[in-house]
Order: sequence, then C-alpha cells, then structure tokens
Amino acid sequence: MSRRTFLKVGAAAGAAVVAGAYFAWPGSNIPEAVRSGSALYDVLIIGSGGAGMRAALEASKQKGIKVAVMTKMAPTRSATTMAQGGINGAARNTDTKDSPEIHAFDTVKGADYLCDQDAVAYYTEESAKMLFELDYSGIAFNRQEDGRFHQRKMGGSSYARAAYSADISGHAVLHTMFEQCLKENIDFISECQLLEIVAMNGKLSGVVAVDMRSGEMLSVPAKTVIVATGGYGRAYWVRTSNPYSSTGDGIAACLNIGIPFKDPEMVQFHPTGLASNGVLLSESSRSEGAHLLNSSGERFMARYAPKAMELGPRDLVCQSVEKEILAGRGIGEGLKAAVYLDFRHIPKAIIQERLFQVRQLALQFEGVDIFDAPAPIRGTCHYSMGGIDVVDYKTCATKIAGIYAAGECSCISVHGANRLGANSLSEVLVFGKTAGAAAAAYAKGAGYEGDKEKLKAAVAAWNRKFDETTKRSQGASVAMIRDKMAMTMWNNAGIFRNEKGLRQAMGDMQELQAMYNTCQVGDSSRTCNTAFMNYIELGNLLRLGKGIIYGGLARKESRGSHSRTDFPQRDDKNFLQHTLISKEGDGFKTEYRPVMIGQYKPVERKY
Amino acid sequence: MAITLKIQRFLGEKKWEQEYRLEVETGMTVLGALIKIKETMDPTLTFTASCRSSICGACAVKVNDNAVLACETLLADLLKRYASDTLTIAPLGNFTVLRDLMVDWQPKYDRLKKIKPALQPKTEFSASEGCRQSKDEFKKYSKNSECILCGSCVSECNKSNLNSKDFLDPFIFSKAAKFVADSRDKDAVAHLEPAVKDGLWKCLNCQECAAKCPKGLSPAEDIEKMRIATFEKKMSSNEGSDHAMAFYDDVKELGRLDEAKLALKTEGLKSALRVPVAYRLMRSGKLNPLEQAKPIGDIEKVRAIMKAAKEKKL
Repeated sequence: MSRRTFLKVGAAAGAAVVAGAYFAWPGSNIPEAVRSGSALYDVLIIGSGGAGMRAALEASKQKGIKVAVMTKMAPTRSATTMAQGGINGAARNTDTKDSPEIHAFDTVKGADYLCDQDAVAYYTEESAKMLFELDYSGIAFNRQEDGRFHQRKMGGSSYARAAYSADISGHAVLHTMFEQCLKENIDFISECQLLEIVAMNGKLSGVVAVDMRSGEMLSVPAKTVIVATGGYGRAYWVRTSNPYSSTGDGIAACLNIGIPFKDPEMVQFHPTGLASNGVLLSESSRSEGAHLLNSSGERFMARYAPKAMELGPRDLVCQSVEKEILAGRGIGEGLKAAVYLDFRHIPKAIIQERLFQVRQLALQFEGVDIFDAPAPIRGTCHYSMGGIDVVDYKTCATKIAGIYAAGECSCISVHGANRLGANSLSEVLVFGKTAGAAAAAYAKGAGYEGDKEKLKAAVAAWNRKFDETTKRSQGASVAMIRDKMAMTMWNNAGIFRNEKGLRQAMGDMQELQAMYNTCQVGDSSRTCNTAFMNYIELGNLLRLGKGIIYGGLARKESRGSHSRTDFPQRDDKNFLQHTLISKEGDGFKTEYRPVMIGQYKPVERKY
Repeated sequence: MAITLKIQRFLGEKKWEQEYRLEVETGMTVLGALIKIKETMDPTLTFTASCRSSICGACAVKVNDNAVLACETLLADLLKRYASDTLTIAPLGNFTVLRDLMVDWQPKYDRLKKIKPALQPKTEFSASEGCRQSKDEFKKYSKNSECILCGSCVSECNKSNLNSKDFLDPFIFSKAAKFVADSRDKDAVAHLEPAVKDGLWKCLNCQECAAKCPKGLSPAEDIEKMRIATFEKKMSSNEGSDHAMAFYDDVKELGRLDEAKLALKTEGLKSALRVPVAYRLMRSGKLNPLEQAKPIGDIEKVRAIMKAAKEKKL
C-alpha cells in the first residue's frame, strides 16, 4: 500500500469514527442544565407555535440572553400548522389601494368594535412589514407575475391582503420559523407539559412542568416567561377545528396566579367545519369563490350579507349557517345537521393549485369529491379571541412583572369580538416578536427575583398530586367528563346563547368539576403518561369553560361571536368594555375595562 | 363490524403485543380507533396526535408494516386492502421508541441541523422588501415545503434500516433539496456539501420513501436531483459521483460498461484493495484485464440519446 493510500484510508476511517460519534449522540428532549436544576433562563417561552418560536428568535438576538422554548409535544405539532388561508398584512403587492389604516378599519369593524384601536394600529403597521420579513426568511409564498408574493382577499377584508402558501399557510409559517430556530440553535425543552407558573407577591420564580418522557417534575427558574400556549377551543371537544392540544394550559396557569382571563366569552365559530367531525375547510374556499347553499340550492348569504355574500366575517356567516339549519333549510338532523359548500363552478386547476388540502379533507372525512359534489359543513369552534389579559400591547406584558403573553392565548386585544380570517398568523408573529424583544430587554436589566425554594415546594406538591391522582382506581374517566363538558358547552354556550342555557351550563360544569376532583387517570406509569397529560388538560378546560360561561352570562348583549338570543342587540352604552374574569377564592369575579376607541367610532356593522 | 388490532406495546424494558377488539364505526380512522381504545378500554395505551387533519405530522404509525398517518387512514380501506379483520399497529421504524407508539424525534432534529436548514437569501433581497421569484421558480421547490415531519419516510427507508450512521434521514434530504432548488438561496453548495458528506450517494433507490410519503414528496427523487446539482456546481468528486461518472463515461464511449475499469474509476488508488477479488475473478475467467472493450454497433444512437437527455436537463 502506498503512503498516500495509507493516509487516505486512515483519514476516511477517522472521519467515519467522528461521524459515528456524532450520530451516536443520544440527544435529549431537555437541555442537561434543566434536568440538573442549574438552568436559569432569561426568557422562557411556553409553547412552540408561531408566537413562541418568533418570540425565541427575537429574544435570542440580544447578546448574552439565555432563551428556551418549552412545548408539551414535539416542536412542530402546534395549532399554527393548521392555519390554512393566509397571513394578512397591507404589503400592497396585489392591491396597491390597501394600507395599514384600511387593514385597521377592517379589523376593528370585524371585531365589532371590541378591540383596542391603538393595539390594532400597531398590529397593522407591523404586519405589513412582517410579510416581507417572512419572505426573506424563506417561506414558500405563492407568487404573482412581478415576482413578489401574491395576496388573496379573505373574509371581512376590503382588499387582497393575505399572502399565502396554497391552503397550508400556517404550516408554511411554522416550518419557516422552525428552520430559523434550528439555524439559531434555539434551545427546545420538548415534551414537557406546563403545570404551573410560580409567582408570589408579584414576583416570578419560574415554571413547573412534567417531563413527559421520565415523568419527572421539573422546576425551571426564569427571569421572564412568555406564555404562548394557544387557545381553548377544545372546551367544545369534537365541535372544533382545533388540535387536541388547544387546551388553554397557559391561560389557566395565569388565571391561577391572579392574571385575568379577558373576554373569555369571545369564542369564534368558523362557518365551514366538516359536518362529521368539525375539521376545517379553509376560508380560502370562499376566497376562491365557493358558494354556501341550503337544502334547496339557494345561496342563502344573500339574505344576511347581500354585499359581501360568502365573504362576510366569520361570526356573521356562521350565525347565518346556523339560522338556515334552525329554519329547517339544512340537511341532516341533530349534531349532523349541515348546509352545503359548493365548489363545482370553480375551475379544477384552481382547486388543484390552491385548495388541494380542502379537497383531500372533504374526500377523506365526508367521502365527497368537491369537483363533483358540494361538501356538507357547519359551524365549528375555531378561535379564542379571549385570553390572558395583556396590559401593554407594545411589550405584551401582563400585570405581573416578567410575565408576557403572545398569540392565541393572549388577549391584547386586536380581534375583539370576532377575528378576521388571516389576521391570526400575522398577529402571532407581530406579537411574538414584540414579546420576545420586550422580555429580553427586561431580563437584561433585571436580576432573578424569584424564589427557588418556592419552585421546589411546587414540584413536591405536583409529585404528591401525580401519585394521588394516578393511584385512584375508581371514579369517572377523563374522557367521560370531557364529553359531557363539550356537550353542554356546545348546546348552551355555543353559537347562540341565552340566560337559561348559560345557567344550565354553569350547573353542569359545577357537577363536572366535582366529578373531576375524584376522577381516575388510569395510568400510573411515569413514562410518557399521556393519560395524566389529558387529565391536566381537562382540568384547564373545565376552568376556562367556566370562564366562557361567566363572561357570556355577564355580557347581556350580542356582539360579534357572542350572540345572545335574549339580548339580540349590541349595547355600546354598557358593554363597549372588556370582560375581565379573575380568581377569587375558589370562584371567579367579573370586572370590566373600557375598550380603547381611536379614530373609528362604533357604528352598526353591515356587510 | 368487529375487528382486532394487535398493537405493539413497549414500556421500560418490556415489549409485548396486545390485542384489542372493537367495533368499526363508519368513517373511523386508525387514530379514531386508538383514541377509542385509550378512552374506553386501556388508558395506558400511548401514542401522539394533534391536528387530526394530516398536517401536524404527530400521528404516523406502522399498520401491517407500512407507515401511515393514523388520522387520515380509514380502517374500512385497510380492512379491504388486507382482506382481513385483523391489523397490526407498531411504532415507526428507524426511530427509538419511547413508549408504545411514541418515538423519539430529538436525534432527527439534531441531524436536520447539518444541512443548514434555513434560507440564505441572496444579497439583492432584504427583510424590508422581501424577495423576487417567478411562478416557475416557486414551483421548483414548493412541493418540498409541504413536508410535515411525520417520519413515514424514515420508517420505510431501507438504507436507514441497514445503517443510518452514514446516511441522513430521507426527509432531511428533501429539506436540503428545497433550498438547493429555491432561487432565493444564494449558496446551494452550503446545503449540498453536508448532504454529500452524510450519504447523498448512499441511497439504495428503493423508492419506499416516495411510496409512503403521505404528502406526495419524493426524497428519493430529491436525492437524484441533488446528485445532478453536485455536477452542475462542479463540486469535488467522491466515490459516489465517480461511480456515476464511470458509468456515464463508459456508456458514452462504449455503449456499455467496462467492468474491468469500473472499480479503478470509482475508487481510484483505493481500488488496489480489490486486487484479491480481481485475481479470483481472473482465475475463474470472469475478468480479462487484457481485453480491449470496443464500442457497440449503435454507439452513435446511444450518444444522441444522451445528448438529448442532457440538453433537456432531465
């Protein structure tokens, strides 16, 4: 063997050993410092959806700031992936007449004036810029002739404003964020479920979470926490388009430490959920021209929104669908009642290019090929406008120093009583960025003021709770309580509400809470105990469901998504205010805060 | 109808198969069945799921040894396909199992970082004005952006099964190919180099990844495209590319392979290690080192086909 060959072979063998060592590195869902208890994060983000990842990217721009994203699943399984239609921002690529001001007006009107107009103005200014940033980050935006990203018109928008990636825009946003997080080497604390935010006397200590893999209760000290855990749509269990994970964990954790739950009653029902299981057919269906038809084939939106027709805002369209069903002009009965969404007049090429996911979902779950037949649809719980009370939209701060909130779990409030389609993706990115920057700046100027002993005590309490609840061999099952909760929420606190129904729901929820207190988890293993996870999630949903009912009872008017049959009119005199539900003893108390009105004075909405 | 699901269980050190019998309801998916079992029969059954509409990638499992998304796979279809009332469900292959059907993604993310998985925008673009790209350029990579990180391709990959230490997971190649094909990216080589280093030429081309991807991506095809890109980018050669070039040169020159020279062209001096094999081949008359290979009769036709293929940039 020549010397050169010898060296070549030697080098190859060396490289193989090095590569082998790299690949053999086991990896962990948790950074070593967290497990050993020596970690102290400057910015700890809970939730790995669009808001959480965007916050992490922004916070990590500050030098010397230690950032991590905690998530109860693997990082890319969040609700953000499910957003379909697009991401709003007045970038003016497609419609040069658009502007942040018009976007703001559409948003305020869509919100039925229950949003803070200063926050909305900030959001629309920032979201116009955000789209270009996203493009620069590598998102797969569909293009127009001049090479810029194309924008489509979504419900309630005056102009074509939503940049999009076919009908998987949220997936595109989330994976672009994940790519950036990998590039920036952001720490993920994966498969760890938030159990508690520990804060006493206004001082944040950190969080307690359960490591799903080992079942170990972890305490993670942090100078700041950004809650980005998503919405609470699973309070309606099957009648929702949300993922199983949308259980409002962060909102419940904040509620427990005295941060109010703002506008909880503002739950958006999306008009086009599949009749059989609530899975969403994207609003881009209607954006691309799909018609809503009743059982006699009539485009019934002419009755409710003669100008906007199918492109009215979601609350209006959804309530119209429900009215058709109630008037006997739907198909099917009971929970399976529906109307039609008809695509047959749309060119097949457009469907294939821009609505392929919609076509697949209808085929899969309803056995309907939208090329040939209309799909049966009905309202489905889609979005939580309410959430953690953010007191400063420029920082996303809550009333407790060091705790921030962004994304669907927060209520800033931009969406008021009804969110417009394609506003949520830009909202999560704009306010994720804002929260990330603010938390990092705060952490930089502050020492750790928490109490690690309190964290340890909380860990011990959770260990006892785990042992106690998983040991039970009697009591109701988590699934049974959950299904009963969903039934009463859908029937009594759903698309249409009234005093009697809400009272009924309140009583039901109290009974269910009592059952929950003695229910059985059914799995006592510490390893990957998803049954315990579901048990914790149900506890959160019961609390938040009660919040929805409280807010709904107190708001004696109809506004946006909150439609009271006993108070069908909007009442600006008494209710142009945010509902604030907070903990008082074992129960809740209700307070109000006036809405910030800017240049757009409340008028009646017409579409 | 009633069916039996044989589910592979795993907890700690223990591995077993457990049977569950349940009624199939109309429209019931594999995920629907797993949930029904967990909620009504056995709360300890462990799996992951989130969106239940085929977009989050959390619920991929193996049914009768084939990776599927549990949330989109109808039991009725499976029963028909396999003509049986019994199905087996197991965790994805080529992953470490954490418990039952739940697998460990963490090492995959660590490996994903190797191919520089983020756009490196060209200098003419900016964060304030975005990028420019034609509709055709967009189409070149948009399919690859549809990967949901479900792991179906990994589970089915025969090369990963054989040895994953020198081979990145199929979806990672698709991710790299996305950036290579994206006209907004300024440096394809930065994504190609690690791909070459970690197995680009080691794919067995079995096409299982393409067959099993629930989103219709084809990592195998992406690997082919990136191999071509390494030639276009005139990247330094390696055994894989030399082997391909040896085939190419032989076919162009002779219209067939000259096997006597193949090892030499592919491996260079390292082929000296093959001498014992060559010696045995010679002794049994299967290799004649003195034979001068001659072009086949229709060599011009072969060359014309190759020229056409090259110009069309297949």
